[in-house]
Amino acid sequence: MHIFHIRYRNTQGTLMRILGATSRRGIDLPYVQAEPAEHSHRVTLLMDVNAKQVGQLCRDWHAIVDVVDVRPGVPIKELWDQAHLGLPHPPESVTAENSRAATA
Amino acid sequence: MRKGSQIVLDCLRAEGVDLVFGYPGGAIMPLYDALDGSSVRHILTRHEQGAVFAAEGYARSTGKVGVAMATSGPGATNLITGIADAKMDSVPLVCITGQVRSALIGTDAFQETDVFGMTLSLTKWNRLVRSIEEIPEVIAQGFYWARSGRPGPVMIDIPVDMLKASMEFNGPVKFTPPRPAEHVGSESTFATTLIALLQQAKKPVALVGAGAKLSGAVDDLQQVLDLLQVPTFATVHGLGAIKQDSPYYLGMVGMHGTRAANLALHETDLLLVFGARLDDRVTGEPTRFAPHAKIVHFEIDPSQLDRVRPCELPVVGNLADTIPAFYQEAKHAHLPDFGAWRAVACGPERDEPVVAGLAHPTRNFLDQLFARMPEDGTGTILADVGQHQMWSAQRYRASSPRGFITSGGLGAMGFALPAAVGVQLAKPDSVVLCVSGDGGFQMNIQELATVHRLGLPIKMVIVDNKYLGMVRQWQQLFYDRNYAETDLSDNPDFVEIAKAYKISASLLTEEEFVDPARANDVSDKLDRFFRSRQPELLVFECHPEANVYPMVPAGAALSEMVFEE
Repeated sequence: MHIFHIRYRNTQGTLMRILGATSRRGIDLPYVQAEPAEHSHRVTLLMDVNAKQVGQLCRDWHAIVDVVDVRPGVPIKELWDQAHLGLPHPPESVTAENSRAATA
Repeated sequence: MRKGSQIVLDCLRAEGVDLVFGYPGGAIMPLYDALDGSSVRHILTRHEQGAVFAAEGYARSTGKVGVAMATSGPGATNLITGIADAKMDSVPLVCITGQVRSALIGTDAFQETDVFGMTLSLTKWNRLVRSIEEIPEVIAQGFYWARSGRPGPVMIDIPVDMLKASMEFNGPVKFTPPRPAEHVGSESTFATTLIALLQQAKKPVALVGAGAKLSGAVDDLQQVLDLLQVPTFATVHGLGAIKQDSPYYLGMVGMHGTRAANLALHETDLLLVFGARLDDRVTGEPTRFAPHAKIVHFEIDPSQLDRVRPCELPVVGNLADTIPAFYQEAKHAHLPDFGAWRAVACGPERDEPVVAGLAHPTRNFLDQLFARMPEDGTGTILADVGQHQMWSAQRYRASSPRGFITSGGLGAMGFALPAAVGVQLAKPDSVVLCVSGDGGFQMNIQELATVHRLGLPIKMVIVDNKYLGMVRQWQQLFYDRNYAETDLSDNPDFVEIAKAYKISASLLTEEEFVDPARANDVSDKLDRFFRSRQPELLVFECHPEANVYPMVPAGAALSEMVFEE
């Protein structure tokens, strides 16, 4: 699991563009939180991605006009637990393994 | 007081727009109503897709921003293929759509679609205008993003009540971006690293893509390559960036590239990429792409780096900055002589085997057409999508950076005819040759009406094999000749159709073309076709099973080309 903190100006569609970079790759998002942060906004995303996808996603997010900063990190335990408690799961047929294969 | 519609046109003029392409409808009627009093010329196409492709043609041939406009709902959705095309091929484009009035948005009103949402992933930037006061800023910002960095499409959706409303207007505004563009300064160290890589390399090559042309760095790049003298090849969008007679130039690379280019790319130990995305049509099987090479990638868009595999040296920035910066260092450096490698890579033993094949007459036909294009580089060839596109890319010796235009990334059939309208309007005195297949031509055949109305002297050619030829070729080679739904043998009579649009048209069969006794007649026919100052259509009936070779089959490495079935 990887966590990403993305700072962005909260202009029309910018959050959707950020999320779209993951959805177009068929990546599940077990945890998403968007909130105001200082003079901009911040969205925190938790997802299961490989090293190549990390690079691609970070570059795609940076290319969005109103994205200010992208920081990947390691999820803390509380966030990991939160992501797996009572949140919608992907269908059983979609395992992390074949999800990765489909997006390779 | 000025109306929103007038303010839109004022802002377009302030951005240097004198020509827009479009199709009217309910939600954009106020903007059309205001056209009369403005100095913006509107070109009516016969379909919104024609409008957006025409705007692309205008933009691709000039480097300026193309503008297309349409109404809400189906008008807006009909723009979408063109927007996706502009995104893939980095074309500066601004699309303006009318939207249902603000109070009705979200109610599934008549001709309402969420075009803002639909184009989020296809545009660099888009906006749904929420008040008339926003219009000047939104248009200024839209043009800024369409032009800046890696160019691309922008969508601006304006509810009809904003177009009808009025406000005090103090004139267009300038947009200042909040995040300044990054520049590569002379202090950059990449040049030193690149020189070191070159000094270690035995088989360096250069791959030239559209970015070299879009950045206006063509002359600088030629200077660098003349210095390095390394084997060089181009993507389909890079054609025309490098002088064809350069002794190190090997032509097009990729799925239908030359044998010499593909072999050199497969064998290289140092790949210099100048403004190319490295898409799968260029790389062949990505895991077997340039297996021995370190990659140095000059690129303005960081999101394009490392897509195939990590590059050793990313050089991020406008090529118009980075290439001269490299040249300044390289010209004083001691660089190896790559003559021995060049002699192998560019030598005659790398030429393709001579295979006459069923496509031989068609290739000769295209050669005869292209030989009649102006030698001074003022002509433009547009190729649609399919076999004729690849034959054209292989055969045309582009003599100017914007001399060969095609839908490369998206591969949108139906592109060429409306795009040719845009090119001819942008360059009224130049020769515009539009080569289509029989499938693609029918996808926007209605634009013959636009060609006729404007009297554009476009030379239109249909390479008619009565199939969806490229799909049929793949069916032949990889699906046991199961020609599922690619048979177009019941095509209409294109000559008669053109005549119905009051356009002069004629037919040339392959049999007629290859008959030595008719060579003079054929030559005269082609001469007349090119001399005409009226729209002309020439239908060339070719063999239905002619194939494009060389070809790198799907899943193969570039070195595994096939030359015949």
